[in-house]
Amino acid sequence: MDGRPAVRDVLVIGAGIAGMKAALMLAGPARRVVLVERLPIIGGKTIKNEESFPNMECSTCMVAPIQQAVLQNPHIETLTHSVLEGLDGAPGDFTARIRAKARYVSLEACIGCGMCWEACPVTLPNEWEESLSERKAIYVPCAGSLPNVPVIDAERCLRLNGTEECSLCVESCAFEAVDLADGDRILERRVGAVLVASGAETMSPAPFVRLGWGTLPGVFTSMEFERLFASNGPTQGAITLRGSGTVPGSAAIVHCVGRAEAGYCSGVCCMAAFKYERFLHHRIPGVRIFHVHSDLCVPGKAYQGFADGSAGDRSGLLYSSSMPDVEVSGSGDSLLVRYPDASGAVAEVRVDMVVLATAIVPDPSSAALAGTAGLGLDASGFVGTADPSGGSMETSRPGVFVAGTAQGPMDIQGAVIQAQAAAGQIASLLDRLRVDRSGAGSGKRPAS
Amino acid sequence: MSASAGVRPAGTVRIGVYLCECGPNIAGRIDLDAVRDALLAEGGRYRGAELVVKRYGFLCSGPGKQFLTDEIRDNGLTHLVVGACSPRDHDSTFMGVCAGTDLNPYLYRIVNIREHCAWVIDDPSGATGQAVSYLLGGISRVLRQSPLHERPLEVNPDVLVIGGGAAGMETSLALAGNGRRVVLVERGPAPGGCMGSSSAAAEAVRRHPDIRILRESEVSKVIGFLGNFEVEVTRRDGPAETVAAGAIVLAIGSRTFEPTDDPDVSYGPDDDVVPLEAMERLLAGGGEPLLRDGSPPRSVALVHCVGRGELGYCSGSCCARALALAARLRAVRPDMEVVSVHRDLCLPGRGGTGILDRADASGVGRIRALRAVQSGNELAVEAMDGTPSKRRFDLVIPVPGTVPADDTGRLAAMLRIPLDEQGFFREMHRMVDPSGTATDGVFLAGTAHGPKDLRTALRFAGSCAGQILTRLVPGERLVPEVKVSEILEAYCTGCGNCREVCVYGAIHADPDRGISVVNEAVCRGCGNCYGSCPSGALRTRHFTNEQLLREVDEALRRRVPVLPEPPVAEVHP
Repeated sequence: MDGRPAVRDVLVIGAGIAGMKAALMLAGPARRVVLVERLPIIGGKTIKNEESFPNMECSTCMVAPIQQAVLQNPHIETLTHSVLEGLDGAPGDFTARIRAKARYVSLEACIGCGMCWEACPVTLPNEWEESLSERKAIYVPCAGSLPNVPVIDAERCLRLNGTEECSLCVESCAFEAVDLADGDRILERRVGAVLVASGAETMSPAPFVRLGWGTLPGVFTSMEFERLFASNGPTQGAITLRGSGTVPGSAAIVHCVGRAEAGYCSGVCCMAAFKYERFLHHRIPGVRIFHVHSDLCVPGKAYQGFADGSAGDRSGLLYSSSMPDVEVSGSGDSLLVRYPDASGAVAEVRVDMVVLATAIVPDPSSAALAGTAGLGLDASGFVGTADPSGGSMETSRPGVFVAGTAQGPMDIQGAVIQAQAAAGQIASLLDRLRVDRSGAGSGKRPAS
Repeated sequence: MSASAGVRPAGTVRIGVYLCECGPNIAGRIDLDAVRDALLAEGGRYRGAELVVKRYGFLCSGPGKQFLTDEIRDNGLTHLVVGACSPRDHDSTFMGVCAGTDLNPYLYRIVNIREHCAWVIDDPSGATGQAVSYLLGGISRVLRQSPLHERPLEVNPDVLVIGGGAAGMETSLALAGNGRRVVLVERGPAPGGCMGSSSAAAEAVRRHPDIRILRESEVSKVIGFLGNFEVEVTRRDGPAETVAAGAIVLAIGSRTFEPTDDPDVSYGPDDDVVPLEAMERLLAGGGEPLLRDGSPPRSVALVHCVGRGELGYCSGSCCARALALAARLRAVRPDMEVVSVHRDLCLPGRGGTGILDRADASGVGRIRALRAVQSGNELAVEAMDGTPSKRRFDLVIPVPGTVPADDTGRLAAMLRIPLDEQGFFREMHRMVDPSGTATDGVFLAGTAHGPKDLRTALRFAGSCAGQILTRLVPGERLVPEVKVSEILEAYCTGCGNCREVCVYGAIHADPDRGISVVNEAVCRGCGNCYGSCPSGALRTRHFTNEQLLREVDEALRRRVPVLPEPPVAEVHP
């Protein structure tokens, strides 16, 4: 790279709230941003929530303008349904190899009318909806997806997996937007710096047999509950029990699921739990709600007020002296939650529905991404920063930065703050490299 | 007038109305030829305007945009109406088309005949009738629109940082490290804050040639807006000077809750009580915990959440500090009993559990209590099951929360930033713009925004620096909003209603003329003031009452047929 001027463009991996905010800050006439998103849509986890704490603000209304701004920005190249496959080089001159997976639908020609998925004969569980509803083999994950252009699940499409010569989607499309001969493309982009904003996941409660998830239909994870409440979700926002479809008259929210196993407090699940209390009261008048909790974690200026406003007279707050000993059992829609109380004696509460507030854990793709990009992971599996105590967002690999829940569990505010800080640090780094390499600068480059 | 406008006589109003078929999405439901005929039949009513009405396959496509460009030029259009989809999809597309011609983009209007007509009315005659009504409304509106012109402003890339604590120093170093000149205003004798004036950061700030430190000084007056602030800084017992800056960062920090303001806490000078911060400083300076009589304490209690009930919020970092201090106390004097008295332990993040584990491993005892009442060195504790007990500790360490710095209210008023319920500066948006404020160009770093741990405070500082570095770029100009409010001097009585409702501080009084005046560089066009004006002196450009009401009037002038209704021909004879 010696002698070559530093590249100003930036690669951002992940089009959630952190990646989108950073991309919008960095993109401009003098600097292009390549925004790579694994899913066929942008928006990240935030758009899965009907409302966000503590303002109980419509998440879509909060995020959709940001999504639109990203898609309409001429200086951002948004590559959905794409993954990073290689990253060579050094600050100021990286070469990123990106696999843009075949979508089989033209982003330019499609207008999202939906004729194709109405025509598709294959019905599958919709993973984006936590499998609480179904999708077709050609689909958009949910109403309001952006870009509003479907993708074909090549493994399940009858034509693409070789089952039969189906072409119903092609025939249904008035815009000739479906192209079954589409293939993966390998793209190379030269960039000066990289931001990893690939997000995180909630822990699966499947290993905790004692909590009944997967066997008792009335037990939901936090993400399932978010989608249940969502007006664009599987029940159009009706909170009903799996299977029976009945409306629960009571619910228990079990806090700290997976905290001991993860080895840390995620810091946002208690707030989510109090949000669920508001959701339930909002949709089901007279519903009785219990929180089975130990340490309530509602840090910051706005959060305790939200929790107090949710929990009412606090009579639903059930203190458990040992969260790993909480058990859920029952049959049908009647569930029994047993927990050790303050004295250690077993107490119990009978409810119709249980919501498990699960810990935030690294996204499984983080490890693969870290391997591809040569980044160090911390002991918990999140992408670490090189300086564990300072404000720098630079990872162990110089020129590669991290922001949002890829770095650790946090709320939306924390993710945005990190993204803005990382964007500033990237802009500074690239400016300094240009000055240094043009020979005009004094060569000053403060250690980051 | 452009050269190509020669095809029409000067003074002629010529409106182009272009109907997008959007494949079958619009053309499949709406009879666009009937729409064209109806519009042409109505055309004469519009102040003698000439109408050009055409349909096209996909106006948003490359050929479609070229078609519009050619039509604007060849017909010498004075106004443009596009009947197509949601403005969220393609408003910016068609404004861009106008910008490439001589037609001012604010003399164009998109009318949504897809989502508002074709997609929601099953009956074709109803959808067609509604499209005609909406398009007539759009024509009526566009005739009352005025051209607006962007006026890019030169910006000053220099930054004023108020407060020389951890966040203020971090912000200053991040900006100066990128070649920005920074003026750092510090009330005390030297920057440092909780890091200390001899910390590495304080040393780096002092040495940096692009950071100018104004010690023992405070901000006494601010005027201006993003890119162009003028700030008066007054030195204690000294002269004032004016500093020019493009942005201002509020990093004034916070202070600690006074423990005895908590009704559950009482102690006096004769008691052996040392609050958390004082004990941290003592140990950091190599000191040893000793009682007032000089003897070492045998038992120490740290009482968490002091002031939390009064404040109504959890400061979020005190539990970690208290447990870290408890572990250090055990290390300093292993024979001393150290007990942490708490209800909820708030230890978010991956470091938190490690702090607790280290405290437990070092032998720190823990009492979980519903409530702890401190009276001197005696603690009355109510256990989680309600059992009461009392115990005396040789030394008690209250762990109080974080409260806003004393200067917060004064600066908030000066900078026109609202305070939130807890008394901290209110952020622009709690989630998606947490370090911005209602006054664009003024940013929040560190605990001036609210209680937080050091690392988060530093990241807020980074967020402020990042926004300034990417928005105020040397050599680039800022384009302020053009759809802003204006005040017609002849009608303004100077009542001040508009000044009260303006959340951006964009309107000020002109006492000489007895009127209110809008600063267009600060106004963001929200329209609050428009609704508040009792004398009709105010209007918000591009959203005037006349524009809005004439559009609605015209759209509703004819009864819109809704299914099932007579065929198109009867509706539009």
